[in-house]
Amino acid sequence: MESDTTTPAGTAAPAPALPAAGREAAGSDHPVAPVFSVPAFLLVLVGVIVAGAGAPLVHAALAGRLALPPSLATGLAALLAGAVGAAFGAAAALVGRRLAFYEVTAAAILWTGTVALRVALLPTLRGSALGAEGLEQQGALVVVLGLLATGALAAMAVFIGATFTYLLAGTGRLDPSLSFELYVARSHLKLTPRTLLGLFLLCVTGVLPGLLFLLVRSLLDDLAERRAERRGLLHARRHVPATMLMTLISIGGVAIGVWALTVVLSVMSGFEADLKKKILGHNAHGMVMKYGQDDFTEWRQARQRVLAIRGVTGATPFLYNEVMVAAGERLTGALLKGIDPSTIGTVTDLPASVKEGKLAWLTDPAHIVAHPVRGEGQPPRGAEGDGVLPGIVIGREMAALLRVGVGDRVSVISPFGDLGPAGPQPKSRHFRVAAVFYSGMYEYDAKFAYLELGEAQRFFGSGDSVTGLELKVRDVDAARGVLARVQSELGGWPYRTKDWGELNRNLFSALQMEKLVMGVILAFIVLVASFIIVATLIMQVLEKTQEIAVLKSMGAGIPSIMKVFVAEGLIIGAVGTFFGLVLGLGTCLLVDQVGIPLDPEVYYIDNLPVLIEPAQFALVALMSVAIAFLATIYPATKAARLRPVDGLRSE
Amino acid sequence: MPAPFVRVEGLRKTYLMGERRLEVLRGLDLELEAGELVALTGPSGAGKSTFLHVLGTLDAPSAGRVLIDGEDVFARGEEDLATFRNATVGFVFQSHHLLPEFTALENVMMPALIRRLGRPEARASAEAVLDLVGLSPRLHHRPGELSGGEQQRVALARALALKPRLLLADEPTGNLDPQTAEGIHALLADLNARLGITAVVVTHNEQLARSLPRRLRLAAGRLE
Repeated sequence: MESDTTTPAGTAAPAPALPAAGREAAGSDHPVAPVFSVPAFLLVLVGVIVAGAGAPLVHAALAGRLALPPSLATGLAALLAGAVGAAFGAAAALVGRRLAFYEVTAAAILWTGTVALRVALLPTLRGSALGAEGLEQQGALVVVLGLLATGALAAMAVFIGATFTYLLAGTGRLDPSLSFELYVARSHLKLTPRTLLGLFLLCVTGVLPGLLFLLVRSLLDDLAERRAERRGLLHARRHVPATMLMTLISIGGVAIGVWALTVVLSVMSGFEADLKKKILGHNAHGMVMKYGQDDFTEWRQARQRVLAIRGVTGATPFLYNEVMVAAGERLTGALLKGIDPSTIGTVTDLPASVKEGKLAWLTDPAHIVAHPVRGEGQPPRGAEGDGVLPGIVIGREMAALLRVGVGDRVSVISPFGDLGPAGPQPKSRHFRVAAVFYSGMYEYDAKFAYLELGEAQRFFGSGDSVTGLELKVRDVDAARGVLARVQSELGGWPYRTKDWGELNRNLFSALQMEKLVMGVILAFIVLVASFIIVATLIMQVLEKTQEIAVLKSMGAGIPSIMKVFVAEGLIIGAVGTFFGLVLGLGTCLLVDQVGIPLDPEVYYIDNLPVLIEPAQFALVALMSVAIAFLATIYPATKAARLRPVDGLRSE
Repeated sequence: MPAPFVRVEGLRKTYLMGERRLEVLRGLDLELEAGELVALTGPSGAGKSTFLHVLGTLDAPSAGRVLIDGEDVFARGEEDLATFRNATVGFVFQSHHLLPEFTALENVMMPALIRRLGRPEARASAEAVLDLVGLSPRLHHRPGELSGGEQQRVALARALALKPRLLLADEPTGNLDPQTAEGIHALLADLNARLGITAVVVTHNEQLARSLPRRLRLAAGRLE
């Protein structure tokens, strides 16, 4: 027999000193559990593909068909796809009866391969259904990153599902109990309310004062030790065990990451909400227009029909043209809107944002008087001799630029005037400033000007026609759906509708992108904190090899040992997340109450805006705990795969 | 003839260390009847611990079989082996290997908690076993607060907590002074007699070995 090859009797002696690397000779006739399960791999692959490819489709369906607001649609699509991926992962774990790590990795690599293939084929796919137009417009890099990120997230969902299921049912039967695992995990962490409170205070007071305090205490301790030594006394100094220190540092890391994420996202939400408020205050939530050159003369009937539609709370006609406004030597381009002063208030905040003069003077220009402060009691300049001029409302910035005030005369120049001998000639007409408005948005205050609708129609010679109707809806976020109803109610073509999101798409998508990028960058803090969790748990595993071996000798299975370390990591993650959420919420409330002044000339906001969105906090918490969970898996498998013999030998 | 409780057939354990082959167990055959109390002796490095680990399914053999009640235990998967250990085997190690953060009672409760028994149930059985080894007054002491003999008694109680049919003790008195060791030996013999547990005790203590009904000697990977 093979094993009878001559071995000196002496070399067989030091069996207990065998290192773990000593490999067993082959010869056992029992089957070895497979390392790679093909059925599990197929399930995982389907999971990654369904989740990765399904998420954008679900998103498109939710945002398009059901007209849900984009952020809600994204969230729902991600949740749904994640759940489906996790379900496939769970199935894979049940089939393979192992962690599906290799299978998930293989599926992710396959996905990366298909992405590479698709990018290589992009030029030929352009225009076809497979081309993902939206992404393509933004360039190949975005396509690649988007696809890779989707794949990575899908693989993550599948992996989390598989791991979770393995932990719950890896023994072959459902075993959600944590009776002794939690017990052991808590003994490893040694977290007492006192240490947690100390850590929390350290986070609250800021790291610097806290460290200073610790330094001073350490200094005093050192002094006491020296003094005791000189007197020949024993001075027992309290030592914090290294693993416990690591635990506290990981909790602090997670807390700081979550803190930063929640605060920055809340501030960005605040900016977005503020901007939205200003844009929506000044603009309508949507508009109805007509295709082509058709005159929109039946707007009175259309307005009545639109007003009857559920969800629409206001409608007003407008006539829109681009013109130049001049006062003396000064000149500026302007967007001139003819409005109906009696109904404009049902759609925009224009009446409320008039700061000087009166909006009503648009229809009653004879009563325009100079603003008392500016005019200092004098009659309007240039009022004599001009007779009564029609009124115009301009923004504060335009007024400052043109150096005019209420009662002053401006001229409006339109490039499309009457037909002269040499084609169309510009036409110019004088108006008197009836009111100055201040919306808070520089763009609007510098560029918008308003005339009375009839006056505008006369000026532009458009008869009774208008450009369209501006609408206000009850629920801003449902504007898209309401406008779709409006369009079908009006009978579709030649009518078309646009909602505020479409009208300001660039701005809001830029804001969303900015928020996403900030979120990703700050999530890296949490990611780094998760590396500390990994290091902490590896230290724990190394320190507890003997304990793990003993637990195994008592019959603890692989899922049980894993649960111990997963529970440890989750406790670290959950406590850190909780600290971070509390700190984040506190900071937001503080900023909201006390206010951090901003230069209004630059930001048009005098205080740093903060919007506390519970969903955002929940999302950050979920992400942070999920990352902590993922961080535990490597150390936990490392612990569970320890051979009990090695742990028992280390005496 | 009914199958013996434990039957070991041609057990081999070989390690490959690079080019070198280390044969720790070279073909062991053994039968143990239920309720037997066996002393296993032999020089250091003869493979006693390895044999005990294989017998307790903590380590897989390179060749050969271990049959418990006629069933080849290593044909089971890893999870079933864990369940098997929990239900059938109790280990006592040379150094007690108690979990330092837990009290004596909690340590002894651990196997029952691993079996997913309820906490009150686990506590009741642990208290009973600790009473059996004479440690009722020291339930809430941590291992660090117990003497060496007491620690080993707790370890013994932990091994017996779930009334295993096979007790494997690896030099349970190796770290103790002769007098304390004597007490543990007496306790082992007493428990074997009272509970009918099959026990294999690895020992260097010739006196203990002679006092046990059956003696096995392992040398150079073979039973003599």
